[in-house]
Amino acid sequence: MKALLIQSHVVHGYVGNKASSFPLQLRGWDVDALNTVQYSNHPGYGFFSGFQYSEKVLRDTLLKGLIESMDIHYDVVLTGYCPSGEILEEMARIINSKMAHVKWVLDPVLGDNNRLYVSETVVDVYRTLLRDNLVYLTTPNQFEMELLTGTKIRDAPSLHESLRRFHKLYPRVQRIVVTSIDMDTCGGDPRDTNYVVGYWGPDFTVDPSSHTIKKINALFNGSGDLFTALLMDYSVAREMHLGDAVTATATLTSQILSRTCDLTPNRAQATDPDVLVAGPAPVKVQDLKLIQCRDLIVLPAADPPADPVTTTTTTTITT
Amino acid sequence: MPRLLATQSHVVHGYVGNKAATFPLQCLGWDVDCCNTVQFSNHTGYGMDKVFGTITTQDQLNQLLSGLFQEFSKDYDALLSGYLPNAESVECMGRHYSKFKRDNPNTLWLMDPVMGDEGELYVNEDVIPKYRELALSSDSGVDIITPNQFELEILCGKKINSLSDLQSALSFLHESIPIIIVTSCTPKIFNDDGYIYCVASMRNEQARIFHIPLIDSYFTGVGDLFSALIVDRVFKMLQNESSLPSFEDQINDVINVIQRVLHVTKALSSGDVKGKMGSVKGMKSAELKIIECRDLYDTTPLEKANFYSIINDQTFFHHKLE
Repeated sequence: MKALLIQSHVVHGYVGNKASSFPLQLRGWDVDALNTVQYSNHPGYGFFSGFQYSEKVLRDTLLKGLIESMDIHYDVVLTGYCPSGEILEEMARIINSKMAHVKWVLDPVLGDNNRLYVSETVVDVYRTLLRDNLVYLTTPNQFEMELLTGTKIRDAPSLHESLRRFHKLYPRVQRIVVTSIDMDTCGGDPRDTNYVVGYWGPDFTVDPSSHTIKKINALFNGSGDLFTALLMDYSVAREMHLGDAVTATATLTSQILSRTCDLTPNRAQATDPDVLVAGPAPVKVQDLKLIQCRDLIVLPAADPPADPVTTTTTTTITT
Repeated sequence: MPRLLATQSHVVHGYVGNKAATFPLQCLGWDVDCCNTVQFSNHTGYGMDKVFGTITTQDQLNQLLSGLFQEFSKDYDALLSGYLPNAESVECMGRHYSKFKRDNPNTLWLMDPVMGDEGELYVNEDVIPKYRELALSSDSGVDIITPNQFELEILCGKKINSLSDLQSALSFLHESIPIIIVTSCTPKIFNDDGYIYCVASMRNEQARIFHIPLIDSYFTGVGDLFSALIVDRVFKMLQNESSLPSFEDQINDVINVIQRVLHVTKALSSGDVKGKMGSVKGMKSAELKIIECRDLYDTTPLEKANFYSIINDQTFFHHKLE
């Protein structure tokens, strides 16, 4: 399987392409990573340096390079964080016109925990993109889903209402998965220790569904990017039905987050009042421990074909 | 987990530079921080008219490295530097890496002085003095250098036509650099065309020459994979975390891994197309099968040297350079 990932790059840590590439590679994907920005680390550190790639550079690299000169055939194209609405629109135009047969996984990166981290105009760009394009899978988080549908998610009925509303607004989106919803699953008990993944599609004649999983009391940077990558693997490469793919993804993501938590020393307590829930404050985890979790993620490679006996005469090997 | 910072090129498609180095190192347990000195659609072997993207400017590189070394000022167990697009970026990398090494003397720095191959420069001439400065000054902090023969000649300012020329080039560089691995030497100084030659030398020890059987294909990114594996093996040797006892065993192990990767790449490449510069189809088949080889990067214990069926592991015939 061959994927093109268009999202952010950080030198240090695991968000954006750094969170998606390695897990997909461990599961056998040939990953082409087109970086929309290059930052030293994610902004959650409170300090970062780096730069954005220009619209022209990104367009030429994708259109003139990968598509027209190299003629590369992808199974999936994933779009995530883009630094501006214009870049996002340009990437979408190219995908729409030149990669029409490629499955588009669209992660509408807008913000999290009730806070936007793109400009307001990007919200409208995503609304238009989702309305006008054939999208294989989209993976908003709770905040993004609420922005895109205008529906607050508090409980199971409002989750289902928001999924129905999403499908009505964006009927060309084939699969919707709302990652990590913090909502009431225990009849109002404040010690609620679950979170929910809501999903619907590609058959919209059945009711929307959800999957409940035990919450880890921590805030992770990059967990959404990891989730989307794994879901893409289970759906496209393992050909699972959406419900099974969501369950498998939620299970594996949980294992990775849990080990990450165990391995994170001096965990800083989160102090953001918006995200504090009843009970002990969640810990803030800067970097996923993807390297230490590779045994959980990896699928072994197929045995390589036997090498024929070679009697070689000449060769060139570049260094 | 050990952490490494790699400053070299990034290609969206294919496996050279950071794309060839990162995944194998991650499979070997390294947290790899990748600082990309360019972002190109693909490597230049496809033909310059087919390469799109941009270089990281000196200011951008300076910002990135300043930010990193400020925020993570003690975090790196190893530093790797490879392709940098111009003299200013070589200088910028060198300044930041040298400073980090002065503050963290136990960190291991491997510098691949990427300048050209087989008589042809692929960087501007003004890059040469920058690499010479880093390679020949003993306080720059470079621990390992991995030039090819052409780059070694540039650094020493002398052609190498004989074993004694090679020996004096190594001695000259050893004044500043403890470990020198010459990744490919011309067969003509060894009087046997049936092999390619790798020379590995530790200061105050006799150099070892490895005779490596030829594989009838053209591959790209081999040198970048080689540097990455060398950092891993030398680091683990110095930390006493390796099952292999000696420096020459480490080098032999790396060559074994590379040979296996090349055999898998050749076997999995479509048809009989031999890699050919400038031909998209040919060059695509020269891309290393970095992902398919994910189970092959780790050290092969000596007693299991015949574990892999695709190529018999071997101790490559080597001898001491007298």
